Amino acid sequence: MLEAAVVLAQTSSDSGDLPIFLLLLGPAGAAGVYWGLYRYYRNTDKSHDFERETIVESRPVTGNDQKVDEVHGTRSSSISGANHEDHRERVQRLR
Amino acid sequence: MSDTPTAPDDVMPAAEPDQPAGQAEPTEPTVIETANDGLIDGVNRCAKCGSTEIQLRVSTGMLICLFCRHEWAEEQIDPLISGDGGALSDLSGTTIASGAADITADAGVLTLKCSGCGAEVVVNTAEATSSRCHWCRHVLAVNTQVPNGAVPDAVLPFSITRDQAVEHIRAFAGKRRAFAHRTFVKEFTPGNVVGVYLPYMTVDGNVSADVHGHGEVETRRYTRGSGDNKVTVYDADVYQIGRHVDFTVDDLTLESSSERANMSAFANTNNVINTILPFDTKNAVQWNANYLVGYTSERRDQDVAAMMPALEHQLLSIARSEVQGSVSRYDRGVRWEAERLDVHGTRWVSMYLPVWLYSYYHRDGDEAMVHYIAVNGRNGETMGSVPVSHWRLAAAALATGTVLEAVAIALLAAS
Repeated sequence: MLEAAVVLAQTSSDSGDLPIFLLLLGPAGAAGVYWGLYRYYRNTDKSHDFERETIVESRPVTGNDQKVDEVHGTRSSSISGANHEDHRERVQRLR
Repeated sequence: MSDTPTAPDDVMPAAEPDQPAGQAEPTEPTVIETANDGLIDGVNRCAKCGSTEIQLRVSTGMLICLFCRHEWAEEQIDPLISGDGGALSDLSGTTIASGAADITADAGVLTLKCSGCGAEVVVNTAEATSSRCHWCRHVLAVNTQVPNGAVPDAVLPFSITRDQAVEHIRAFAGKRRAFAHRTFVKEFTPGNVVGVYLPYMTVDGNVSADVHGHGEVETRRYTRGSGDNKVTVYDADVYQIGRHVDFTVDDLTLESSSERANMSAFANTNNVINTILPFDTKNAVQWNANYLVGYTSERRDQDVAAMMPALEHQLLSIARSEVQGSVSRYDRGVRWEAERLDVHGTRWVSMYLPVWLYSYYHRDGDEAMVHYIAVNGRNGETMGSVPVSHWRLAAAALATGTVLEAVAIALLAAS
């Protein structure tokens, strides 16, 4: 969170919002320290990494990719709702 | 970028699956008998001297007769389960080892007749699988697979000693002392660690999965506006993506106690026990209650059917992990929107796995929680939860925030 605040401040400086966003550095840093220490002690985010720690033998992945649209001039740097790294987030289940 | 549909280099075009689609037809599960026929309920004697003073020798992983020092071990369970060594990709239907059969009896209390003196001895199988005859001092053990989940197919003996576990726990808590709750620091007694055999199911599976979604490839990045209103914007191609993967899993390990399987990080600390998985389950041996002498155990209370949702969740997660490498070209990311799982075959084995557990009951105002520090009884992996002092955390956060704010103000003043 601390790094995010610094990045935010740096980003903001490009657009001329330096005074407003830089003042968030203190509160953001404090929240980051609190949450980081809390997690280090309580380990609320830890669980068995079964995706990597289980013996899995898979055959080559098959699939298809079809271009269906184009996006122009979006200010977002990534696709909305990206979840390719969040393997445990369940989506609609097809039966 | 061309409008022509393309497939990434590392993904083969979709082919007709060579296994029938859809869930496997519900049929009666195949049962593998795993009962240890050489043992009975009651007195089981050392083959050399006839004593019943038998327990696990942790340093060798063998059972030892405390009277004549004869050592032996039960057979490994894996060859019995794997049978003729057929590939997991040939696994079909549901196969259940006899110790993982559905629980049909609630009664946890068994009465054993001592063959040494004829007395009747009660064993509460919810907590132990052996008891000492109060008349003749023989040890009586429960070895038949009573249908209450107390006797599993296999047991993985402890190989981490109590002293080693205490050191692991002391080191873990020692690194978390400064911001720990003061009562925890004051009352911390790692010598109170308890060796527990916790109930798990190990599952082999043969499955196929499909995932569908959209991915975007960045085609152009540029800035709009000028001066203070300059912003970065992007152009991208949007692709509809489908992926199919066939895979097998070997010894996926699931909690078979409903209490341990309930993981809500802010209501309990069961997640730290989950974190010390996996175990070297290939080394598990056939059941013999003497492996548990001196340790406590927790009875399985979940059947295979009740654990299917947890298994399917983990299989889908593994499928998503397996296909991740095939979508790396989508540099703006992928949004998976639908997924499908076809379970062709599963094989279930119930197992007691060894955990050293330090527990600390902590009450903070109206809220109470048991904090565990758990040590994997085979490889020493340690994870735990230490109650925090919120005042100390707040002081550290305030100090850091103040320094950062001072820096920010100094920068602003300088500019």
